[in-house]
Amino acid sequence: MSIRAKTTREILKERISSQQRRPLYSPEALEEIQRGFDGWFSSVVGERDRRSWIKVPLTVLGSDIPRELLYTPLSNPDLDYLRDLGYSGSEPFTRGIHANMYRGRKFTMRQLTGFGSPEDTNERIKFMLKHGATGLNILFDIPTIQMYDSDDPMAAGQVGMSGVCVDSVEDMELIFKDIPLDEITISIVSHYPSNTAILFSMFLVLAEERGIPWERLRGSVQNDTTMEELVRSGSEYIPPRDCFRIQCDNIEFIKTHVPRWNYITLNGYNLREFGTSSITEMAVALSNGIETLEDLTSRGYGVDIIADRLAFFWSVGNDFFEEVARLRAVRRLWYKIMKYRFGAQNPRAMWMRCHVQTSGVSLFQQEPLNNIIRAAYHALAAVLGGTQSLNVDSYDEAYSVPTEEAALLSLRTQQIIQEETGITDVVDPLGGSFYVEALTNGIEERILQEIEEIEKEGGYVAAIESGMLHKKIAAYFAEQQKRLERGEIKVVAYNVYKSDKKLPDIDVFRYPQGVEERQRARLEKLRLTRDNQRVEETLTALRDACKRRENILPYCVECARARCTEGEMFKTFKEAYGLWRPHGFW
Amino acid sequence: MGERRRIKVLLAKLGLDVHNRGVLTVAKGLSSAGMEVVYIGNALPPEILDVAIQEGADVVGVSCLSGAHLTLGSSLMDLAREKGLVGDGVFLIGGVFPPQDVGKLRDLGFDAVFLPGTTVEEIVRTIDSLVGKGTASLNQEEG
Repeated sequence: MSIRAKTTREILKERISSQQRRPLYSPEALEEIQRGFDGWFSSVVGERDRRSWIKVPLTVLGSDIPRELLYTPLSNPDLDYLRDLGYSGSEPFTRGIHANMYRGRKFTMRQLTGFGSPEDTNERIKFMLKHGATGLNILFDIPTIQMYDSDDPMAAGQVGMSGVCVDSVEDMELIFKDIPLDEITISIVSHYPSNTAILFSMFLVLAEERGIPWERLRGSVQNDTTMEELVRSGSEYIPPRDCFRIQCDNIEFIKTHVPRWNYITLNGYNLREFGTSSITEMAVALSNGIETLEDLTSRGYGVDIIADRLAFFWSVGNDFFEEVARLRAVRRLWYKIMKYRFGAQNPRAMWMRCHVQTSGVSLFQQEPLNNIIRAAYHALAAVLGGTQSLNVDSYDEAYSVPTEEAALLSLRTQQIIQEETGITDVVDPLGGSFYVEALTNGIEERILQEIEEIEKEGGYVAAIESGMLHKKIAAYFAEQQKRLERGEIKVVAYNVYKSDKKLPDIDVFRYPQGVEERQRARLEKLRLTRDNQRVEETLTALRDACKRRENILPYCVECARARCTEGEMFKTFKEAYGLWRPHGFW
Repeated sequence: MGERRRIKVLLAKLGLDVHNRGVLTVAKGLSSAGMEVVYIGNALPPEILDVAIQEGADVVGVSCLSGAHLTLGSSLMDLAREKGLVGDGVFLIGGVFPPQDVGKLRDLGFDAVFLPGTTVEEIVRTIDSLVGKGTASLNQEEG
């Protein structure tokens, strides 16, 4: 990829700074406020507070943005209401992407589900739906995520852990037994472009075999190169450039054939949880979005059409106001990028739609019930920031996959916010706060600066290839660890207000027994009963398509129809693209 | 003390587990504390032990956040016992485990078990004291 003539930041500056602004505060008013401030500062504010007027809050996964002791109109003197904030559902969407926000459509309560065998997961899905979950997030087990079959030696001892195992379309059939695929929204947490191509193809074949037209399916896939090439620890990686192409292939295919499906979730969450600041989280996801749109427009799609279902996935953690401001900032920034860099005209293509999961890294093992409180604050910040859907982490996640009781409590946390607090009745309730608006501006500029850093490296994919992002992340989490150990970042019951209490033997989730054996037996039968010649043919066709750099999705769907396994399909990718060795973190 | 050979630590992700922030943090911390660290990424027990022997590691540390700590942990320790490595080297495991599994992991033969929230300093201290107890490295010729 060629280095662009101009960075996104330069383009936005050029196209926006020429616009005339209409500041909310008159120069006279500001002058008077300044005089008042000066008098107050020197006579009322104590000397110690004057000296430490600016403070940098140190929080888990924070971003070191300095804060003043008090915010006034002077913090944002040229605030232009219509240009900077406007109305909800209108440009620049700072206040929300829908005019009526939660009055119109409540945030989707989307809890993660998936463990053990397909049958186990099917049962848990039914339990969650019965208790009012309005969407499903299906998580896959480690071998499925890493794209190995359950009978692969690499998978030994790990089948059905941290998610549900899927080897072929037959497992999809069992997971979704008696679940009306076209009546609920289903998020397939497929993480990577490679396994999105594989697993979503299986899902499509399942729908097809049940006679459900693909046009009726609603939900999302993750499909994110950051996850496959940067965040994931694995033993085999395909080259970033090929991975990114599969990401774009997935989008192109889904956009064309499954029009109501969200074809990419630009994932900041796992990157941040891996260890980055909240700014880097967003800068990397936006850079991926920018490069993705460049690729797809070069394939001949207009941005108004191709960007209308892009979605983002954020981690919301401890620094309450920063989290609220961040969601507002990124909403406005994405709008600006779409409008002024890509020339979008369709408002839907300018929307930063997002799903939020509360931060798992911010939960601690010591006194685990404290995590309920942490997650509730995270959830509150996400709702005040205007998220479209939410997953609240369970308090026992610092121990294992949540128990049924803990999973229900997470759902209840959301329901209490939605039904009992009245928070959802008013749109963007913190908008206009001197503090929140100043923070929103500061965060927007910082994200843009980090996008520029990536662009100067040659762009998103190049910044992965060169190891720049790996090193940036590692430097961040090494520092974070030191701050935690030195007690600079305070965590209750961990490094402040420490209790002597031993870790309680809380009731933890235990994986069902015998999953691996059953799954291996099922696979063995599959390999004997399917048409193996057709398997070979479809895999060969897939390999050739990979080599021709043609959109591989139609070939993946053919493979799924032929009952190829996930491991067989990933092996085909590896053969066609070769393996890539990521740079070291240090 | 100053003349002592540097402690050599082999670190690995156990199996296919995707989470490596913890083990990378530990790798960095141990090497800052003066130890020689070899991090091999994701590996299964046979490979981990083969490399440990080749490298003559004093300590084998594995990281597991996938829930497979008991299954893969026991196959690692069974194999180590088979190869006669238990007692020679120090075996450590860290990751996300229910507290009640700590005892089980120790019963499997791990010399120490680290849960989330453990400081790098604690790990350094543990290694120092365990290696100091007269265990030899895993390279038998050297032992």
